[in-house]
Amino acid sequence: MPHIVKSTILKAPTDAVWNVLRDFNGHDRWHPAVATSTIERAQASDKIGCVRRFKLKDGSELREQLLALSDLEQTFSYCLLDTPIPMFNYVAHVRLLPVTDGDRTFWHWESRFTTRPEDAKRLTEMVSEQIYQAGFEAIRHHLSEAA
Amino acid sequence: MARVYVSTVVNARNDRVWARVRDFNGLPNWHPAIAESRIEGGEPADKIGCVRDFRLRNGDRIREKLLGLSDYDMFCTYSILESPMGVENYVATLRLTPVTDGDQTFMEWTAEFDCAPEREADLVGNIGGSVFQGGFDALKRAFGG
Repeated sequence: MPHIVKSTILKAPTDAVWNVLRDFNGHDRWHPAVATSTIERAQASDKIGCVRRFKLKDGSELREQLLALSDLEQTFSYCLLDTPIPMFNYVAHVRLLPVTDGDRTFWHWESRFTTRPEDAKRLTEMVSEQIYQAGFEAIRHHLSEAA
Repeated sequence: MARVYVSTVVNARNDRVWARVRDFNGLPNWHPAIAESRIEGGEPADKIGCVRDFRLRNGDRIREKLLGLSDYDMFCTYSILESPMGVENYVATLRLTPVTDGDQTFMEWTAEFDCAPEREADLVGNIGGSVFQGGFDALKRAFGG
């Protein structure tokens, strides 16, 4: 089962980063891969179990469900329901931790999924780089513009 | 219950940092406040339950027991058995997590303990400052930032 772990340090306090990340319907405002995002059935984006529907810049669509969200721990987890690529049982966890030495943020993003053996390497690289690493860079940019 | 949380980023891969801090008998090798350390009963320093007896540069003596050590998750948990600090039920954990974006290491050092209410602020400040952050600063210097 492929396991992806990516992490970075952001030069902003966790509250500022969490303020952006906690909106499960807000990824179209900062992630370069996401064109539009809506929450199905007009549910609140912090209601556990809500489903977001993404349209990606390449035109493909995917649906993801919010499994857990904690303002105390500054974490959330979600799974993939529908996607045009052969990824199954995808569950991801996002976690922010304070770097007290300098009031920065440690951002940890990890996931596991199943796929066909011949697709494992390609999909792992795609998620690691185009989704997670690109997301890190996008938030870095987003926060520096907001500041 | 009082709680201390201190974290930093060290400019080296986590396996290099772990090699430096995993030795439960090795505080004098990297922490500037510690003068000498030994493990009681001649036990190995990575035997869970072993006790380290160490002396600070200011002369204080502390005995601590190893409660948990994981080379896989890179953490070390220990409790204080005896110290002049006036703390009870003191349990601390030092944890390393890789920063994949740049080969750095995120380090957390946490402690929970009971103490007299009027001493809590001083103890939290001292443990978080000179003990935990003092150790982090030494590691950052050792690894160049």
